[in-house]
Amino acid sequence: MRNILTICNYTFREALSRKIFLTFFGVSSLVLLIFSLIFATVSIEDMLPVVNVNGENQVDNLVSELTIFFKTFIIVPLYGGGLFLSIFSVSSFIPNMLEKGNIDLLLSKPVSRSQIIWGKFAGGSIMVLLNVAYLVTGIWLLIGLKFSDWGMSLLYSIPSITFAFMVLYAMIVLIGILTRSSILAMMLTYLIFFIFSPLLVAREQIYLLFDSEILEFLIDSVYYILPKTSELGKITVDLVQGRGISDYQPIWTSLLFLILNLSLSIITFSKKDY
Amino acid sequence: MHVINVNNLTKVYKARKRTADVLALNNFSLQVEEGKIFGLLGPNGAGKTTFIKILLGITHPTSGTAEMLGKPIQNYTIKARIGYLPENHRYPGYLNAEQILIYFSKLSGYYPSDLNSRINFLLHLVKMEKWKRVKIKKYSKGMMQRLGLALSMINDPDVIFLDEPTDGVDPIGRKEIRDVLVNLKNEGKTIFLNSHLLSEVELISDEVAILHKGNLVQRGSVQELTTTKEIYEITLDKALVMESINAINETGIIERHGNKYTIKVATNEELNRIIDELRQNGYYFQSIVPKKHSLEEMFINLINDKEKNAS
Repeated sequence: MRNILTICNYTFREALSRKIFLTFFGVSSLVLLIFSLIFATVSIEDMLPVVNVNGENQVDNLVSELTIFFKTFIIVPLYGGGLFLSIFSVSSFIPNMLEKGNIDLLLSKPVSRSQIIWGKFAGGSIMVLLNVAYLVTGIWLLIGLKFSDWGMSLLYSIPSITFAFMVLYAMIVLIGILTRSSILAMMLTYLIFFIFSPLLVAREQIYLLFDSEILEFLIDSVYYILPKTSELGKITVDLVQGRGISDYQPIWTSLLFLILNLSLSIITFSKKDY
Repeated sequence: MHVINVNNLTKVYKARKRTADVLALNNFSLQVEEGKIFGLLGPNGAGKTTFIKILLGITHPTSGTAEMLGKPIQNYTIKARIGYLPENHRYPGYLNAEQILIYFSKLSGYYPSDLNSRINFLLHLVKMEKWKRVKIKKYSKGMMQRLGLALSMINDPDVIFLDEPTDGVDPIGRKEIRDVLVNLKNEGKTIFLNSHLLSEVELISDEVAILHKGNLVQRGSVQELTTTKEIYEITLDKALVMESINAINETGIIERHGNKYTIKVATNEELNRIIDELRQNGYYFQSIVPKKHSLEEMFINLINDKEKNAS
């Protein structure tokens, strides 16, 4: 455990040295500052017209809608943009570690290869968790102070977004070990995150275009194998909006994907010569 | 006690085509005693680095067994007592010397209460104390090498593997590194040295092994390997009158400088016959010394012979 914590700690430092997480932190601080200014200078009554589009005059409902509006306004770009930046910054962790002269030193220490993978994985994940937690908790505090809405729904996005990142990061780790290429790891992850996952969510519509059972089976297989980041995003928004989780399938299949990728990473890494 | 005990170690690097497989080590066996400086020599591609990597668990052997400090190398916990300076090392540039020494100490499972004192001591030893808080990315090649040496010692290891430790270091720095290694040996540590700089290996190694194409071709003390038994340098009190000495005429003089002669003899009896004859003829010996090759000469001759035999 000590070894994992040590590697995790230095992965964290590596992430800090990249500046990307500091940028993320800076942007988060800026967002919090802007929200603080808006909340400090604009009264709730002034904000109501923003969401008062259906002509109802129930102030309590409108305040509730307003808080949901703000929460969603933060979470949707945080999910997309935050994960985009996080993938970008961690994609080189494994290829860098595997560089000649670097991996030799690491493997010459009394640390098992699985501990190295766990340490790297935990380090990147904790980094993202802290960044997401910083922004989300900050927004939660501001909304709570302004609207006296201390509901926990916004905070559920912290584990939800971190989990989505961990699923993708597990794939980055495996691709990094197999290919030692950060660019390939990044590209394939973006491909799944931005192209495959949204497409596969709409697979029912695709089936309408091609009347083929084999194709349906193939697309279904790909759907269940790949992580469901689009659906995880929808679950995050649902949680934030207080609707809860309606379908757990995307969570457990993505969790299986994470476990499979990490297991394969450890097995492959343990067998390789450096 | 043998700190390294390797038996029939073979390593084949598999290629896509079987004919392109590379045999890096071929049934290699080696035992290294505790408290010695052991030099492993060989031309490029001989298998030296592969051997160290197998011992350290960086590369897996194809067959054979290896033990370090009495335990099989598969037991990674033994590496807590090992230090390593790899060739072409890369240290994280965003850390400074102090930070990386702490990092490697932790990774080695070494948590002494006086870690800071040890870091200061090691940085002083490798003349890097002024660079303690400077980011590694600003270091020169020689400074990186000095830092690497300090890193290999941070966990107070019993065995230290050094792959080209003086690479990129100036002559004064090399001398300082040699002194450090000799001091470590005097403390009872075992040093395993891979180096192309044979003159340096010759200066500090107790024992040397030579690898060629994955095979052990020679092994012994530096004294044994550099001494040429059949050739002697004799120094007399006066120059020889050649015609008067039959034995030496039969043998033949290889070199002559004033009253110093290099002779080649086939046996000890022949050497003693020459000595007797010279003494009977009124010559006095100032010295008789077996002619020594440098380690480099011996190495080049040996490898050339192997290449010729192979072709």
